[in-house]
Amino acid sequence: MKKHNTMEKNMEKQYLLLVLPGLIIFTIGLIIPLLLAFRYSFTSWDGMSAEKPFVGLKNYLDLLQDADFRSAWWFTLKFTIGNTIIQNVLALLFAVALDSGIKAQKVYRTAFFVPCLISALIVGFVWLKMFSNVLPAVNDLLGTNFNFLLFGDGKTVLSGLLIANNWQWVGYWMLIYLAGLQSIPGDLYEAAKVDGAGAWTRFKNVTIPMLAPAITICVVGITTGSLKVYDLLVSSTKGGPGRASTSVIYQTYTTAINGRQYGYGSAMSVSLVIVLLLVALIQVKGLKSKEVQQ
Amino acid sequence: MKKKLISLMLGTTMVVSALTGCGGGGDAAGGSAPAETPAPAENGGETADATENAGSDVSEPVTLTVLAGQSTTDAGIEDMIDEALAAQYPNITLEWECVDWGNDFQPKMQQYMQSGLPDIMIGKAQDVATYAPQGILGEIDAMYLDRGLDAARENVTIDGKTYGLVYNALYQGVYYNKTMFAENGWEIPRTQEDLQAIIDDCKAKGITPFASHMVDTWSIGNVTMQFMMNDVFNHDPAWGDKFRAGEVSFSDDQAAQTAYQYNQLIFDNTYPETFSTEQTDCDAKMVLGEAAMKVSGSWSIQNFLDIDESFDFGIFPFPNQTGDSKLIFEPNITIMTSADSEHQDAINCVLDVLTGNQELAVEIYDYTKTASMLKDVSPTFTNPSQADIDKYAADGMIVDVTLGNNQLVWGGFQEENAKDIAAWLQGDASFEDALKASDGRVGTSSAN
Repeated sequence: MKKHNTMEKNMEKQYLLLVLPGLIIFTIGLIIPLLLAFRYSFTSWDGMSAEKPFVGLKNYLDLLQDADFRSAWWFTLKFTIGNTIIQNVLALLFAVALDSGIKAQKVYRTAFFVPCLISALIVGFVWLKMFSNVLPAVNDLLGTNFNFLLFGDGKTVLSGLLIANNWQWVGYWMLIYLAGLQSIPGDLYEAAKVDGAGAWTRFKNVTIPMLAPAITICVVGITTGSLKVYDLLVSSTKGGPGRASTSVIYQTYTTAINGRQYGYGSAMSVSLVIVLLLVALIQVKGLKSKEVQQ
Repeated sequence: MKKKLISLMLGTTMVVSALTGCGGGGDAAGGSAPAETPAPAENGGETADATENAGSDVSEPVTLTVLAGQSTTDAGIEDMIDEALAAQYPNITLEWECVDWGNDFQPKMQQYMQSGLPDIMIGKAQDVATYAPQGILGEIDAMYLDRGLDAARENVTIDGKTYGLVYNALYQGVYYNKTMFAENGWEIPRTQEDLQAIIDDCKAKGITPFASHMVDTWSIGNVTMQFMMNDVFNHDPAWGDKFRAGEVSFSDDQAAQTAYQYNQLIFDNTYPETFSTEQTDCDAKMVLGEAAMKVSGSWSIQNFLDIDESFDFGIFPFPNQTGDSKLIFEPNITIMTSADSEHQDAINCVLDVLTGNQELAVEIYDYTKTASMLKDVSPTFTNPSQADIDKYAADGMIVDVTLGNNQLVWGGFQEENAKDIAAWLQGDASFEDALKASDGRVGTSSAN
């Protein structure tokens, strides 16, 4: 018995030792900056001077009145909702198509996956050139008159960014769905077939429930990733035209760094962290309850 | 024997001097190292005697860190400086970090103010007003400042101490296609009515009056400051200070509103894809004769001449309401040094190369297509707009934009206002909203 306890303690020590490097990095890189940001959010620090005057809740109260911040949230929400729906649907459809045994499956899989290996900064630049130069040139070549200048108008910039972002990430989420699909036991489909279930019924009652863990990963991943969009904007629209594509993080960065309002910017980032945590929590709770144990 | 001893001592002194300090590199093409030792420089309240350190550090290999906030014209000059420095002071190496001045210089400076500044920072003249009051910049030695034009010092001097070495200058105004102007019989406009007449004639003849690239918010911010200079600051040089004191505001001041509204004039008289057109494409349109004018600055010359070296263009100030507009002058590359650097003598050697090596200076001016701010140094590239610049200079019709930029800073104010102007032009916000937003930003209008 004593030997067993000693072994358990040794195991615990080993686990702790394995976790420790990650924990230290996580603490230094994330927890401490988060706590510092929380502290700065109660100050009017400009990010340069030594003084960090305490202003209490003023920054948070100002946030409620800040039209630019509201506009940034509105864009971020639209971008997030658009991405979450489009990316999940397309990724699932592509995964189902690739899982159906079509020819040249590997070629398609690679082609869809490659864009996610490129930095979002490059993707933004590529699509800026596509919309501004390449596609209008195609227009000229074909004698057509499609409006490809999507980044140049506040009314179409969201569509342009959704195209760019989905082009980059659909392949990545598709692989997760594909892995989920390939792990569904074939006998479930056989049993459903025997029970007289058609293709749609099998998809609805077998595929979707069995894919629930993958759906949880994809929905939470896409939502939180979209809420944090920044790098794509830097190289494509720079938050414009005007403020039409300014995300919360972009607004936070320009306020805190360019605008020398570090305290106020910290309040913005704290609000984003709270929203991110809430969204992730709600989604995980909601989707987990629908997951089926294999 | 006595003579031999003195000769030996002198000889030894010369050899030691030649191997150490700012005299260590020998002659550089076009500019030799200063014969005299640098005068003591005051750095952030501490007096650092350059003479004291000279030789002790530079006789050993030294690596200086440089943060270079570059304009679009500047990328590449770091290689020229490295080459000249290696020839003149082989022991000094520069470790460059080149960033875009508009987007990244200030964030980088903020970061380095927490972790320790680079030895040398290259920004714009307006940065001196931002960072010198923080006590982090070193005073530039008079020896190097004296090699520059006096006009360059005024806006980088605070309380009698000069913290920036202005190296080159840009001119801003309306670039115009000389051939097009001559063919259509257009005179240089002095008033808004004159300008409108040209715009009307352009439209009647199917010519786009203005080339513009509003996809770049900085471009909107830049032209707005040009407008503000001529309609606001030229008549009230302390407008920015009065704005902070609550005496004037964008919502109430007719002149400031007029300056904003000129953006609408440009927007209404440019091609529809301006919010999707980048600078290079815009400059190409200008060179290819697709537009008659472009409100811009010397940074466009590089593109103009790269696209067509025979392109004939001139420059005039954007006409204001009173018909007395001045051409805008902007001190551009401004070298600042860290007050706390341990390598002050090596820094001085770099300043020596920059200000003393005329061949390097000409190479940089010719490459960036900018004007010299050094005495007796002139670029050799053919600048078709130089005759216009000389004319305005002779008439005293040139104004330094640092006046406006120091009072209404770029980061956090002009840059943000430009976004609101873009939103207004796009119909996403009202003109009143844009003015109100500028007024609401009064707290960030000054660097300090």
